[in-house]
Amino acid sequence: MSTFHLQIVTPDGGFFDGEAERVSVRTIDGEAAVLGNHIPYVTALGTGEARVVVDGQTRRAAASGGMLAVTPGHVRVVATTFEWAEDIDVERAKRAKEDAEQRIQNAKDPHELQLAKARLSRAQVRLNVAKR
Amino acid sequence: MAASSMKDIKLRMKSVESTMQITKAMELVASSKLRRAKLHAEQTRPYFTTLHQTLMDICYGNTDFSSPYVQKREVKKRCYVMIAGDRGLAGGYNANLFRAMEEHRAGADSVMLPIGKKAVEYCQRRKLPILTEDYALAEDVQMDDCAAMAKLLCQSFCKGEFDELEIVYTNFVSMLSQQPAVLKTLPLNYDRELAKEEKGLHNLTLYEPSSEAVYNAIVPEYVAGLIYGALAESVASEQGARRTAMDAASKNASEMIEDLSLHYNRARQAAITQEITEIVAGAEA
Repeated sequence: MSTFHLQIVTPDGGFFDGEAERVSVRTIDGEAAVLGNHIPYVTALGTGEARVVVDGQTRRAAASGGMLAVTPGHVRVVATTFEWAEDIDVERAKRAKEDAEQRIQNAKDPHELQLAKARLSRAQVRLNVAKR
Repeated sequence: MAASSMKDIKLRMKSVESTMQITKAMELVASSKLRRAKLHAEQTRPYFTTLHQTLMDICYGNTDFSSPYVQKREVKKRCYVMIAGDRGLAGGYNANLFRAMEEHRAGADSVMLPIGKKAVEYCQRRKLPILTEDYALAEDVQMDDCAAMAKLLCQSFCKGEFDELEIVYTNFVSMLSQQPAVLKTLPLNYDRELAKEEKGLHNLTLYEPSSEAVYNAIVPEYVAGLIYGALAESVASEQGARRTAMDAASKNASEMIEDLSLHYNRARQAAITQEITEIVAGAEA
């Protein structure tokens, strides 16, 4: 299977730099997967599960925000947050989820509500990724 | 005369010593903070550079200028995100940054977004228009704050409140050298000539759902990422500058103490000699 050079970076450091066979992410427009020899492609990331296939092994992660850019020979995932499934702190995610639910209840203006909802969806994704 | 000057010198020495204690302590604090800040800056750097590189690549290949972020406008007003320190006593750290900003601004009409207490104070003193003062503590700013700032900046930019966005920060070159820099952020830089010659292939770039939607989603993230990266660099630079300044101050203080103790010993010897001379003279008489 043809591979490509994949780079995953976040503000907290680099998470992946090497050859991969396939990467799939959740974009603002739905699920998208990139294989080798993809044409130049740019999209923004939503909040959701990301999968990276290296040597037939799938690694799962929770990602949110940022972008996916394919240039000839390179695929870059520049995410705001990115956590491998094994690194997710389930307790923290649960707390974040409860906290977000509380915030939604107490939200005073639409902006606050929107922030709280984004928080909730991030926590939910983290839990889902960590569970399986 | 000798006795009083001895006392004076002793007092001076004491005051220099206590100053040295402070500068030594500050140096130690700065070095431990520097270690942490440097690590953080190094962690953030790949994100910073990859983000910048990716956006530049996209811009080179861009042929669709429907998004306001890529349209070049006549520059009537600039916005400066100025990242300075929270405290002084960091050598020329803050002053160099302000100088770099003033040089770039050259007296033109502009609006500021100061980050860090010193930057806020500077804008207030100069009576420069300020966009928001919510980010007075540079050390406390998190990614969330950067996102909020970026959102505010992008909104104002789209509304046409300013035509260009610059980030003024200090590049952490090494432990001993920090360079103030002005980074043009919006509108996105592009060079059509270069795009045609070198990256002709990129013109086929596929945007999903559409180039405008992608830009509108990506650019605030990009601005937030740049601010966050610049902030990490600046915080590391501040600690580096402070450590260097305090190291120099401690060295000066120890030199002064050496000098003063020499003077003190001379004065003491002179007093003893005089006393002996007086006694001998008295005995002879």
